[in-house]
Amino acid sequence: MKDAIVLRDVTKRFGPVSAVSNLSLAVPAGSIYGFIGPNGSGKTTTLRMIMHILLPDHGEIEVLGSRDTAAARDQVSYLPEERGLYKKMTVRRLLRYYAKLKGCRRPEIDADVDEWMVRMDLPGVLDRTIETLSKGMSQKVQFISAVISRPALLILDEPFSGLDPVNAQVLKDAVLEMRRRGATVVFSTHDMDTAEKMCDRLFMIFKGTKVLDGTLHDIQEQYGADTVRVRTTGGVEVLAGIPEVESLNDFGQMQDVRLRGDAQAFLAHLIARTTVLHFEVTRPSLQDIFVRIATPRES
Amino acid sequence: MRKTLIVAAAEFGTLVRSKAFMVTLILMPVIMAASVFLMKTTRNATDTLERTFAFIDHSGIAAPVLKAAAEGLIVPPAKDAPPRFTPVEVSPKGRSIEALRIELSDRVRRQELFAFVEIPAEIVDPDSKSEIRYYSNHPSYAPLPEWLRTTVNYAVLAERFRAATVDPRLVARLTRVAPVSNLGLFERDAAGSVQAGAEVDPVRAVGVPAVMMVLMFIVVMASAPQLLNTVIEEKMSRISEVLIGSVSPSELMMGKLLGCAAMSLVLAAIYIAGGLVMGQTYGYADAVSARMAAWFLLFLLMAVLIFGAIFIAIGAACNDLKDSQSMMTPVMLFMMVPVLTWSAVLKAPDSTLSLALSLLPTATPFLMLLRIGLQPGPPLWQILLSVALMAVTTVVTVWAAGRIFRTGILMQGKSASVGEMIRWVKAG
Repeated sequence: MKDAIVLRDVTKRFGPVSAVSNLSLAVPAGSIYGFIGPNGSGKTTTLRMIMHILLPDHGEIEVLGSRDTAAARDQVSYLPEERGLYKKMTVRRLLRYYAKLKGCRRPEIDADVDEWMVRMDLPGVLDRTIETLSKGMSQKVQFISAVISRPALLILDEPFSGLDPVNAQVLKDAVLEMRRRGATVVFSTHDMDTAEKMCDRLFMIFKGTKVLDGTLHDIQEQYGADTVRVRTTGGVEVLAGIPEVESLNDFGQMQDVRLRGDAQAFLAHLIARTTVLHFEVTRPSLQDIFVRIATPRES
Repeated sequence: MRKTLIVAAAEFGTLVRSKAFMVTLILMPVIMAASVFLMKTTRNATDTLERTFAFIDHSGIAAPVLKAAAEGLIVPPAKDAPPRFTPVEVSPKGRSIEALRIELSDRVRRQELFAFVEIPAEIVDPDSKSEIRYYSNHPSYAPLPEWLRTTVNYAVLAERFRAATVDPRLVARLTRVAPVSNLGLFERDAAGSVQAGAEVDPVRAVGVPAVMMVLMFIVVMASAPQLLNTVIEEKMSRISEVLIGSVSPSELMMGKLLGCAAMSLVLAAIYIAGGLVMGQTYGYADAVSARMAAWFLLFLLMAVLIFGAIFIAIGAACNDLKDSQSMMTPVMLFMMVPVLTWSAVLKAPDSTLSLALSLLPTATPFLMLLRIGLQPGPPLWQILLSVALMAVTTVVTVWAAGRIFRTGILMQGKSASVGEMIRWVKAG
């Protein structure tokens, strides 16, 4: 599969701060690619460099087969985390404007706008100004403004943040629809559950450096089967002091325990202390992996 | 270029839909017409109050003239309806003059009188240095002392002529001042006969150039500063990131400038069309020549590009409108130069000061246009020099603004300082 985006040894500095360091990455065409990482880790900087909004200080970026990322502009759409919409413009005028900037023509724009309005459940808002829309509606309009030009590459910065579950589902369906239409979708998110379920591949950046890159399966394999999910009558208290427990994630009724030793020895200790209702050796979730990487280590 | 035009069209659409455009378009002529109406009305109608003043006539010659003048029977003539003054003669009648002055002062304080005046006895003597003494607690009110000066002196001169056995009517005839009529130059027509110059029409000679300059100022002020608001809105709402994902910063900035220029041309066209209709009605349809209109358009275009680029740069460098205010101040001072100096240019359009001011690129569109409109107009070399200086300034300003814009438009956090903006220009 040809890659939609290739980054080779890319570095971007802001004064003394290195936002992205020697980053290399390949995003396969037609995939949904998730960018994860804590706040300030370099996700948005990387997305902006791909969009040619920022230029790298070092390294090269290839977008849709072209090293001149500006040349690919018309085939790439970007949805910033903030709204990016003119408050006083009507939805119709705004969508036409953004689509024309991508080289689309009026008749095809209007046809696509009508279709997306139905798909995104936005009836009767075309002639309303942006400032009269709710946050959810604005985000949907923003999404339509990004896809109306039928981009080959769609880059979304935190597309699901702040949405209620219904609107989030509508937007997820729309992202999948874009993939069905052949677009490559790259999005950044803090929602690990969404990233796990939607992304073909995941990339994690931490302090400007790539720390994860691959499919969810690959990443989980990398982190081994050192996690068990337990449910006991004693709850989280009985886990205290068991030597095999490296760390734990308490969900109240259930605990995910990361082990430093043998799972069978841990089970023996647990049985000795309480009644075990559920014991499952599992691979760490993306959330666990994220926390392991991003949590400051004690010296 | 295609994307620049798309941005320009969108910018134009946004600007002409803005409240500022509608306010300028509709309210400005209304405000100007209302101002003219108020000025005319107030000039003719403010001073209808009857003012009673007392006078002590030591000379014995002024009383009949003051009374006759107050009834409008004799000179002095007034251009407009004169204020109404009622003179009341008082005399000491056995009191001391000081007691009378105190009594009259008290009456003025009690508002029974507006003022009182003393006309000294020796005022008739041509060698006397005596003065008409006017007492009032309204020191800023000028019409009454002025009326007294004219009226009492009329009586004094008449008495002096009578004493010298000279007929005042003869003096009036002999001292009649010849007026100056302001005429155009002679010229020969196609048949070779000499045509006398027509009398100069102040509306054509001064009014039209001044109105064209004011129109230029209104249009520039209504268009260029709006770019500051749109750029700051785009920056704060991260719209700029979406746009830069579709167009280059230079295409975006040029589109904005072109949209703003188009808006200013539309605004000017609407005003000029309105002016032509008015001109047709009052016989001034040909008051604005094609040459003047061409200079107007050229200067307007360059003014919008210069000031628009400056406002775009400020908008890109600032994070909110509040921060932009401090940077706007020096720019606004430059914009005010023509407002503060245009009357000096009007009085002496060919002076060195007028030339220097009209060559200042930020003032050229207004002051050179005014000079072109005032006959006989500046030499062509001065006009061409001003255009060349403006063209260079336009190119440099747009170039520098472009460098500031492409860096500043994506900067978040604190607003840039002037030093940082200069560094951006140098760094490119």
